[in-house]
Amino acid sequence: MALPTGQPDPTLDRETVVRVTGRDLAQRATLEKMRARLLCAAAGFGVLFGAVAVKLSIATVLFPMAPAKRQIAPQVPPIPKLSPDGDGAFAGDFGLPHVRRATITDRNGQILAISLPMAAVFANPMELIDATDAARKLKTVLPQIDVDDTVRKLSSKKQFVYIARDIPPEKEIAINDLGIPGIYFEPGEKRHYPLGRTAAQVLGAVDVDDHGVAGVERYFDKRLTKDQAPLRLSLDVRVQGVVREELEAAKEKFSAIGACAIVMDVRTGEIVSMVSLPDYDANLFSKAVDDQRFNRAVTGMYEPGSTFKLQTAAMVLETGVAHVWDRFSTVPIHVGRFTISDMKTDHFAPWLAMPEAMALSSNPAAAHMALDAGAKRQQEWLRRMGFFDRVPVELPEAARPLLPRMSNWGLSAVMTVAFGHGVAVPPLAIVRGTAATSNGGILVKPTLLARDDDAVSASAMPSGADVPPPVLQPVSATTPLPGTPTAEPEIVPQGERVLSEETSSLLRRILRMVVAGPDEHRTGKAADIPGYFVGGKTGTAEKVGAHGGYLKHTNITAFTGIFPLNAPRYAVYVMLDSPQATKDTHGWTTSAWNAVPTWHSIVARIAPMMGLFPVTEGADKIEASLSISMNPPVPPGFHQLGPGNDPGDPAHLAALAKQQKDAEKAAARAARDAQRAAAHPGTTASAPPAPRDRREAAAGPAAALRREISYQVPAR
Amino acid sequence: MITEKRLLRAEPNFRLLAKLWRINWIYVLLICLLGGVGYGALYSAGGGSAKPFAGPQSIRFALGVVMMVALAMVSPKLLVKLAWPFYFFSLALLVAVLRMGHVGKGAERWLILGGVQLQPSELAKIALALALATWFHRASYKRMGNPLFLIPPAIMTLVPVALVLKEPNLGTAVIIACVGAAIFLGAGMRLWQVALLAAPVPFLGEFAYSHLHDYQKARITTFLHPESDPLGAGYNIIQSKIALGSGGMWGQGYLHGTQGQLNFLPEKQTDFIFTMIAEEWGLVGGLCVMGLLLLTILGGMLMALRCRHQFGRLLALGISMNFFLYCAVNLSMVMGAIPVGGVPLPLISYGGSAMLTVMFGFGLLLSVYVHRDMRFGEVERAGV
Repeated sequence: MALPTGQPDPTLDRETVVRVTGRDLAQRATLEKMRARLLCAAAGFGVLFGAVAVKLSIATVLFPMAPAKRQIAPQVPPIPKLSPDGDGAFAGDFGLPHVRRATITDRNGQILAISLPMAAVFANPMELIDATDAARKLKTVLPQIDVDDTVRKLSSKKQFVYIARDIPPEKEIAINDLGIPGIYFEPGEKRHYPLGRTAAQVLGAVDVDDHGVAGVERYFDKRLTKDQAPLRLSLDVRVQGVVREELEAAKEKFSAIGACAIVMDVRTGEIVSMVSLPDYDANLFSKAVDDQRFNRAVTGMYEPGSTFKLQTAAMVLETGVAHVWDRFSTVPIHVGRFTISDMKTDHFAPWLAMPEAMALSSNPAAAHMALDAGAKRQQEWLRRMGFFDRVPVELPEAARPLLPRMSNWGLSAVMTVAFGHGVAVPPLAIVRGTAATSNGGILVKPTLLARDDDAVSASAMPSGADVPPPVLQPVSATTPLPGTPTAEPEIVPQGERVLSEETSSLLRRILRMVVAGPDEHRTGKAADIPGYFVGGKTGTAEKVGAHGGYLKHTNITAFTGIFPLNAPRYAVYVMLDSPQATKDTHGWTTSAWNAVPTWHSIVARIAPMMGLFPVTEGADKIEASLSISMNPPVPPGFHQLGPGNDPGDPAHLAALAKQQKDAEKAAARAARDAQRAAAHPGTTASAPPAPRDRREAAAGPAAALRREISYQVPAR
Repeated sequence: MITEKRLLRAEPNFRLLAKLWRINWIYVLLICLLGGVGYGALYSAGGGSAKPFAGPQSIRFALGVVMMVALAMVSPKLLVKLAWPFYFFSLALLVAVLRMGHVGKGAERWLILGGVQLQPSELAKIALALALATWFHRASYKRMGNPLFLIPPAIMTLVPVALVLKEPNLGTAVIIACVGAAIFLGAGMRLWQVALLAAPVPFLGEFAYSHLHDYQKARITTFLHPESDPLGAGYNIIQSKIALGSGGMWGQGYLHGTQGQLNFLPEKQTDFIFTMIAEEWGLVGGLCVMGLLLLTILGGMLMALRCRHQFGRLLALGISMNFFLYCAVNLSMVMGAIPVGGVPLPLISYGGSAMLTVMFGFGLLLSVYVHRDMRFGEVERAGV
């Protein structure tokens, strides 16, 4: 292995002498041993590079990976194909855009709420190359974004950040054309309310995730997302528009802080119009203040005032406690620290028969009616009329009326509730009750949904998706208007019967007398529209002040009316919150001076619109059928309530208060006797109606006392 | 094979001029070629402009060449003396980067020293190669069989590995470990010892996986199924594969690579620069660049083989190994063969720290070559 020493290699420098020792050789040997390993490593490198080269060939030439379709055009919406008939239009480029949430229309198919396709722009910051550059580019298309803020969002370590929501399709394409990697679109939609303020509170709103948060949008949230067919409401935007316009004008004129109006079909309960002022543009729900979002028609709790007397009259008539010819005292009543009186009594007779008591709207008279019925009957009546429950309508905001506690429903509560104080109900409940008194006695369920069997539905709403819906098309002249008498069959009100036909008929006449009676001082005078036979009841309630107690000159004024009374169709309600006096009202702020004229101008405009035309032929006949004497004659066999026969006579009440203390025990005994006597079949056999008999049995020296007890524990 | 000629070669003279002449200029040319390829690619990545990548990179490259040639003049004897201070200096930097490093992309990897960004883990690789080469320099084959002799260098390897893992920078930690392992093998570690050590690696791997960061786990799972999450973590791999596929045999033409120029390709100036080259120059261009890289690696190995002292040989091995791993990891990564891991393609990718440390390594390599026949570390003899 080794060369002989001392013999220099001729190739080397002559002076150099190389000596190789054993240890030297050992180390050389170590080096040489590792030579193999180094060669192996080098070969390994080569092989691995070869493998990478093979992989490269596969990736580039053998099996190149084509970009996925979504990469080539991941964000461009599908382009509609040209329609084959070559009219230049795009096939499928008509009708409603494909959105998740169904459209809401009025009863004629006019769009109230529609979803438009909008995209949300989001980014995956982990994929972005240059956040600043991306933000700058985005700013050119989306002027609303803040560059610094966007840069911060795009520089975060998240995989998902929203940049902007509700981007219209043209901007979506513009952003896509920027070609920024890591920017994506999430298909979405935006709710649009083309009519702005019209029915804003009824429609409600949706949140950013398109879930209904208020109004119909919330109540029908599931239905709207599940079923693509438009949701057809009972509202009529034409009526709604007029009602809103007139109400707004009245609100301005009387400087009211709020107003509300409802138009409801008394036969079907369909709400044709529901306006609450102040309102807001439904597209700007988030900017609306609470007072604007507040739907006074269903959420507002107002003391109904005298409009509630209609319920009191209906109650006493239906239960037979009193008759239409019975007379009631209008003398102020003192109960504890309250006095029940009328504002202006100079034209009042001390005793008024029921039609006149209603026409002049006497509070003591109404209180006496209720006293005759008693607390139990009053509660029972209000429960039947639905005043104890949430008003049943398709709005999540519908609220429960406020009533006195059952344990606290004493004498004063009976009397105050009789003329609509000490109780607060939403206007829609009043409208429902008014409808029941005039439609033949059926308590209908108010609804915001149009009836399916309405003649309009067939023509206005296409059933198949292929037929382009007539969105934004004017309702053609051939489309039958809702309520056109010729186009529809007789509609029988559906619901619980709460009044007999006779009582309803009687109440219609009383309502007519409020508007068109012979009495000069009738409160509803200003509502009359010749040929429409309107009727109704006024209501003025003093507002409760901030510190409790009623404010003398701040009122809630309302008028709840029906037209036409000869064939009742619509209940219309108008309410003004805190109207101010003007020089036309001579300083008055009661209903007759503001709510009633407003009601008049609304009905005068909407009646023809709803296909009802004034009746001139046989008007006298109809008028005669709707009138009733202010002092109806007492039929034979009946003992008229009135002077000397009045349970609510103030003299009796005074005596009552005096006797109460020392005669408590005797009273209880007497009451038991009276009940026993009343329940005995023998005594009632020959008398006409049972209640009449009981009252007459009660008439006598101790009548008032016994009556009083019967208010507390009525024997039925 | 031991030939007489090689055994008896006398030590040449080490005057500066002679050393300069003895530099492997072909190798320097090779490196410059790679630098040129990098310039061209960065010019394209900048959208057909020297700004912002190609210009600054070329200045750094020029500095790197000067540094490399200067380092080639340094005697291995001095390198041995400096090995330990350099090693501990790099460890100190690794600790410093953990303490006050600049956080970039979720990891503390950068250290800013006097305005210069420094990635200490790059330096640690060279420092480890130097230190290990110094340790094993005088070890006879017999001594290598003693396991106790191997424990200190094992610790020397594991400390920087652990520090880099803590940053966290999994890719570089694995590369450091591999460089260490290569030197152990090159120094003559017994194969049975290697087998013994390699046996628990799968278990260690499982343990390590459970301690990975979520983004690291995501890389591994998307590596296995990149199409499962095309918009998320698999995005990079898929974009890279699409770009390679769009390149085909001859490429889309310089400055005309659609995926790269349209910014679909992420990190195209750093990690994915090879993809961009392959997209624009096709399979042929990609293979040419790979050929240049392989030549550089094999050249390094050749220098290792040619060196007559253990120190130089192990140092050259470590540096070649380091360069090879850089290339292999990056190339495999862009082709979707291994999980993505933030490893640039040396000499071509944009980034000063990585390039300068690689050039530093090449400087050492050239020094080894220049001093290949130096009488160094052999038994001292008088009268020579």
